[in-house]
Amino acid sequence: MIRLPRVIGALLLGATLGASGAALQYVFANPLVDAGFLGVSQGASFGAALALVLGGGASALFGSAFGFALLALAMSVTMASRIRFGGAVLRLILSGMAVSAFFSALVALLKYGADPLSTLPEITYWLMGGLSGTSWKTLMVTSPLALLSVATLISLRWRTALLSLDEATASSLGARPRLERSIVLAAAAAGVAAVTAMAGVVAWVGLIVPHLARIALGGEGSPAVPGAAVLGAGFVVLCDAVSRGLFPGELPLGVTTSLIGTAAFFALLASRRVNVERG
Amino acid sequence: MRFEDVSYRYKGESSMAVAGFSMELKQGSVVALLGPNGSGKSTVLGMGAGWLRASSGSVQQDGSVAFLPQTERLAFAFTCVEYVSFGRAPHLPYLALPSRDDEERSLGALAAVGMENRARRRITALSGGELQLVRIARALVQEASYVLLDEPSDMLDPAHVATIGTTIRRLADSGVGVLLSTHDLGFAIDTADEAVLMREGTILATGRVAEALECAALGELYGTPFRMASIPTPARQN
Repeated sequence: MIRLPRVIGALLLGATLGASGAALQYVFANPLVDAGFLGVSQGASFGAALALVLGGGASALFGSAFGFALLALAMSVTMASRIRFGGAVLRLILSGMAVSAFFSALVALLKYGADPLSTLPEITYWLMGGLSGTSWKTLMVTSPLALLSVATLISLRWRTALLSLDEATASSLGARPRLERSIVLAAAAAGVAAVTAMAGVVAWVGLIVPHLARIALGGEGSPAVPGAAVLGAGFVVLCDAVSRGLFPGELPLGVTTSLIGTAAFFALLASRRVNVERG
Repeated sequence: MRFEDVSYRYKGESSMAVAGFSMELKQGSVVALLGPNGSGKSTVLGMGAGWLRASSGSVQQDGSVAFLPQTERLAFAFTCVEYVSFGRAPHLPYLALPSRDDEERSLGALAAVGMENRARRRITALSGGELQLVRIARALVQEASYVLLDEPSDMLDPAHVATIGTTIRRLADSGVGVLLSTHDLGFAIDTADEAVLMREGTILATGRVAEALECAALGELYGTPFRMASIPTPARQN
């Protein structure tokens, strides 16, 4: 049985991950990043695991995952402002890595102490990502945030593409890189935090879909963000169908997207369709 | 654009990168900054562009400024016309996309540097010389009162250098003030009206290019002897 909330959840999840991936790649001037680089996914993982250990309901899980995702982003941004070397982008990536590792360690700690018969499998299953728990109720909470995030990222698309130019160049064109980067980061992170709190960690969509969009649209620039939103929505609906249909039980969505995503990633890099940098 | 007793010190450095620098850039003229590596040319341009804030002194300008840093990291494969259109950003409201008119202007700027047939090519697929011309087109489409160029002829072949020189002269003739840094003395002589010779952050000499760029001054500037040379004309065979 295909349930409507589940399909809507898949569309929202894919659109948010795709649009935020494309936007963040511009902001970081790096075509090989997504929201995971800001610590957002690991923060959400810890929040969810904590709620499962403490035994809250579905809304406690959502709130905790969302809150810790934003906390992780805030930690990444604060740490980046304290690092004494490197440009703004390198500092954010370094601090994002550290914050991700920190929350991974906390998740491991929670798993270590969790009841191996009840809580541990729950945590493990949630971390693999999936939409089986999506209901009208979860959508009511997730969709306003996700839609607002996608709409913001789409309306900022050209300014965001401009931020991928050098900081000196962007400022000479009247941009305020620091402020504008923060706006895009906040919009992307809020959306990703919301959909991650709903569906768990669904990896590789934000990284791979923007590249597929660029190839499909034959260009860079303003169409990439909306293109990634549309393609991301389609990609996740497809992956969710594969997850449900391919095996008698159900494959976790995060496993399916990772399997397809990594294969697509290697195919892309091998085909030289990804223009990473000159030379 | 007027630099008045401007100084700049980079964070963590003990010495001034630029000290007591004063000059005026008039609209319609081309001024070349010359000097050894590290003499403060790029710092002066950065302050003129508003990218660096002078530690002391002031930079005043009565119009908009376009700035081309020496190098630029290009992480994405924009088409040339998409890339040049970014030059329209100062003319657009915050959330607006470039209009048809902006695209027409961008195509016009590409045509002005002879790159109109590259408009739909990706910037990552261009040669170094072509990329520099496209970057200059981006500065042109900004339609600024002043254009600051950091080593625009760096590492280019003579044909591209000539195109860039012609473009800069045309820009100045249309009333734009151009300040550029270069190590290419021939390019400076062909393109600039005035030269500012800089060493260790201060001005050594200024003047009309023809007078300022003579062997003794250049020798002092770069710390190496200069002599006049011209390419010998081959003897004509009858």
